[in-house]
Amino acid sequence: MKRILEYLNKHSQVLKRLFFAFLLVTVAYDFFVKRHGTHFFGDLIMGFWSVFGILGCLGMIVVCKGLSHVWLEKEEDYYDK
Amino acid sequence: MINSTIFMHPATWFLMGAFFLPVFKRMGLMKVVLVAVPLIAFFQIQWLPESFGQVSYLGFDLVFGRVDPLTRVFLHVFTLMALIGCIYGLHVKETGQHIAAFLYVAGSLGVTLCGDYLTLFIFWELMAVASTFLIWYRKKKRSVQAGYRYLLVHVAGGLILLAGIFLRYKNVHDLSFVRIAVEGATVADYLIMIGFMLNAAVPPIHAWLPDAYPEASVTGAVFMCAFTTKTAVYVLARAFPGFEALAILGAVMTLYGVGYAVVENDARRILAYHIVSQVGYMVCGVGIGTAMSVNGACAHAYAHIIYKALLFMGAGAVLEMTGKSKLNELGGLYKRMPWAMIFTVIGGISISGFPLTSGFISKSMIIAAAGESHRTVLMLMMTLASVGTFLSVGIKLPYFIWFGKDSGVPAKEAPWNMNLGMAIAAFLCFFMGVYPEYLYKMLPFPVSYHPYTAYHLSETLQLMGFTGLGFYIMVKKLTPAPKMNLDLDWFYRKGAGVFMWIASRPVDAVNNWANQVYRTVGFKMTLAFARALSWFDWEGIDWVIDGSARGVVKGGDKLRTFMTGKIQHYIGGAVAITFIVLILVLLV
Repeated sequence: MKRILEYLNKHSQVLKRLFFAFLLVTVAYDFFVKRHGTHFFGDLIMGFWSVFGILGCLGMIVVCKGLSHVWLEKEEDYYDK
Repeated sequence: MINSTIFMHPATWFLMGAFFLPVFKRMGLMKVVLVAVPLIAFFQIQWLPESFGQVSYLGFDLVFGRVDPLTRVFLHVFTLMALIGCIYGLHVKETGQHIAAFLYVAGSLGVTLCGDYLTLFIFWELMAVASTFLIWYRKKKRSVQAGYRYLLVHVAGGLILLAGIFLRYKNVHDLSFVRIAVEGATVADYLIMIGFMLNAAVPPIHAWLPDAYPEASVTGAVFMCAFTTKTAVYVLARAFPGFEALAILGAVMTLYGVGYAVVENDARRILAYHIVSQVGYMVCGVGIGTAMSVNGACAHAYAHIIYKALLFMGAGAVLEMTGKSKLNELGGLYKRMPWAMIFTVIGGISISGFPLTSGFISKSMIIAAAGESHRTVLMLMMTLASVGTFLSVGIKLPYFIWFGKDSGVPAKEAPWNMNLGMAIAAFLCFFMGVYPEYLYKMLPFPVSYHPYTAYHLSETLQLMGFTGLGFYIMVKKLTPAPKMNLDLDWFYRKGAGVFMWIASRPVDAVNNWANQVYRTVGFKMTLAFARALSWFDWEGIDWVIDGSARGVVKGGDKLRTFMTGKIQHYIGGAVAITFIVLILVLLV
């Protein structure tokens, strides 16, 4: 188990390429997939969930980290003082 | 009648187990009992009759056992979880912790089975008290304080619930615990709902959860993450399906919890915030109120209990072996705790809803139900929350504990029983993902939903893949720092501080000053006043009556009996005198 992980760790470049290939495949797959049970307009746009995923993820990081930095973040002993 | 049915109730086994556990420990049988009791309960619940344990008490009809499909699915997962939790905690030597866990499970089973609000309330409070001990058993100063806050919040919630129950009884003269119609719901019903919502950690009354769970003992947190919130989901699904407030608050919850999970640093606090998010799906499913969405809420509760417990077990194993749970102090542990790593990663991908895991077949059911009810906004909010889920618990948490920069923290593999508990949960995550029928046929309504469609796969893979890309781009921004984030518990934690300050400074100062004044001035004044009274007794009355010696003595005696020092006597005397004066005025 440990050896497999260390092997993968050493070849992280390969992993990275595989990951990007996977992303391409998922988007390509979306063009061929049969749509049924569609609920709203987004279900009809090719690759909608890819855009939703990346924008949602980045937006969430920016908003949450931003709020945390400017307002909510305090030292760990804040309540002990 | 109750004697023959008392052993039918699965909570009885846990209560007896808790009571006799010290004896069994003496006999060296504690570990046997810890596994046997949940096992008995797990098999026993399959054979429960529809109704049992009806007792008339003080004119109330108490129902201890009411079994229908909704009850069954929750009983199934609660007893299964109790078994996993007990195996995980087998190495714990303190009997008290096991007793608290058993009582806690008993409370949860009692709430799930009860058919009236009084029985519900009794078991509800048992849960609150027993779980507080699971926090205190961590035995750190912080956990003692957090335990007190937890208990106070839950007692307050219990009182709101009790007020609702009383008002409801006054309104409808019926305490049976059944579905409440949306039309004609009164203040009483909403009070009950608030009491339930507090346990489901619905914002703005959620802050007790991320405050208390990270401070609980390692095994205590595993139990707590399963029972309190999911019992609340059960009671909400029982009484309040279709309430719009739940649908909206549930969807808000999913984002609220996950937002904090993205920024927090402590592994168990991330998981605790993430409970808020996950329970949000269930609350929203209950609020939408269609057969499919309530099914989804139950399915998600089942799946969530298993994988969230798995994640808490993983984070707990790290805490147990290294003494650390903060992400900035951890990293690179995959070399030293590979088994715990595999199990936690399985929990992470299950919670994110990867294909072939339990999250894929349960969470999607609620989201699809929202779509089918044309609740597009709710649907998109929940989908966004699942992006955040993968980001925070699927990638961030495992990355910074197991991979990332090697912290060099010394660690060993967790004890065999901890790994076994995690292995069972990890197996179930895959089992439900591969064989959804296992879960679907337990649900309260017939299921027509098929999770493994080509489009659903495409949607999930795109969402997950591109969330991964987002993490890859922003990984530097997400590096954990030793900080904490304010939440709404600020109001009562700092509020309590203000109260204590007022109590200790101004009030205490005034109190001291008043004491001083009393000691120096008041005491003398009292003595002087007493002397004046006795002078008035003799001299004044003597002068007023100006009569015979007999009259003086008699009047003095009468007045002296008035001067008993009791305020009610003085008031009574004053009223009597006024009365006499009135009669005299009227007569003359």
